[in-house]
Amino acid sequence: MVRFKHRYLLCELVSDDPRCRLSLDDRVLSSLVRDTIARVHGTFGAAACSIGFAVRYLNAYTGIVLLRCRKEFYQLVWSALPFITYLENKGHRYPCFLNTLHVGGTIRTCQKFLIQYNRRQLLILLQNCTDEGEREAIQKSVTRSCLLEEEEESGEEAAEAME
Amino acid sequence: MPAPAATYERVVYKNPSEYHYMKVCLEFQDCGVGLNAAQFKQLLISAVKDLFGEVDAALPLDILTYEEKTLSAILRICSSGLVKLWSSLTLLGSYKGKKCAFRVIQVSPFLLALSGNSRELVLD
Repeated sequence: MVRFKHRYLLCELVSDDPRCRLSLDDRVLSSLVRDTIARVHGTFGAAACSIGFAVRYLNAYTGIVLLRCRKEFYQLVWSALPFITYLENKGHRYPCFLNTLHVGGTIRTCQKFLIQYNRRQLLILLQNCTDEGEREAIQKSVTRSCLLEEEEESGEEAAEAME
Repeated sequence: MPAPAATYERVVYKNPSEYHYMKVCLEFQDCGVGLNAAQFKQLLISAVKDLFGEVDAALPLDILTYEEKTLSAILRICSSGLVKLWSSLTLLGSYKGKKCAFRVIQVSPFLLALSGNSRELVLD
């Protein structure tokens, strides 16, 4: 069928400074990525990537960003992401970098990957945390996410049994 | 009796040359503009950087010969970068505010082919 195909790049913004993630804004990030592509791939790259470019999802607390680009030029966008070294907001410059976690063809596949990734990250956080109060909070979130998974599985089994 | 199998080796060159050679000439609208070899190379690299960015400006480009009087040169570029170099030479419009244009005289994957040009052949 004839439709425009996209690639969704799931990235994580990693930074030493905790204020960097909080000052994430979709317009700031969009202009930063476009400027970086123009610097790295020139006028051709800037024009090719900016047609279908959009920031689809942004989470300021975890620093997860979902970028959309056309399928023909997603490699230009992907290869320009390591050249982003700082985030500038209101005159403050925060050094950071974008870590690409997953490339998917649809938002749904990226969401599925993100759910699994967050579950794994919770377990890692549980291992690394030192404060008792934090430990209890993380354990509660882990059990809640596992319960949700079991509910989904039992729901599927019940549906299969009915058939 | 079956004949003994003849041993032979077949060598196939899919892409015989990894470099392409271009003979180009730079023309200015006004006369009296001179460039030395370093400025010429700087002009070429800035043309590619404008259109294709820093990544493609770092392509291994060599100026094999350069004549300052006629502003003509023979360039060598790897085959994957030929299209990018040629298109950025086409779109280059000016040098330091003065209008100029690149004329591509000959392109070949073999350097020997650039030594003679049948258009400039003079028959006695």
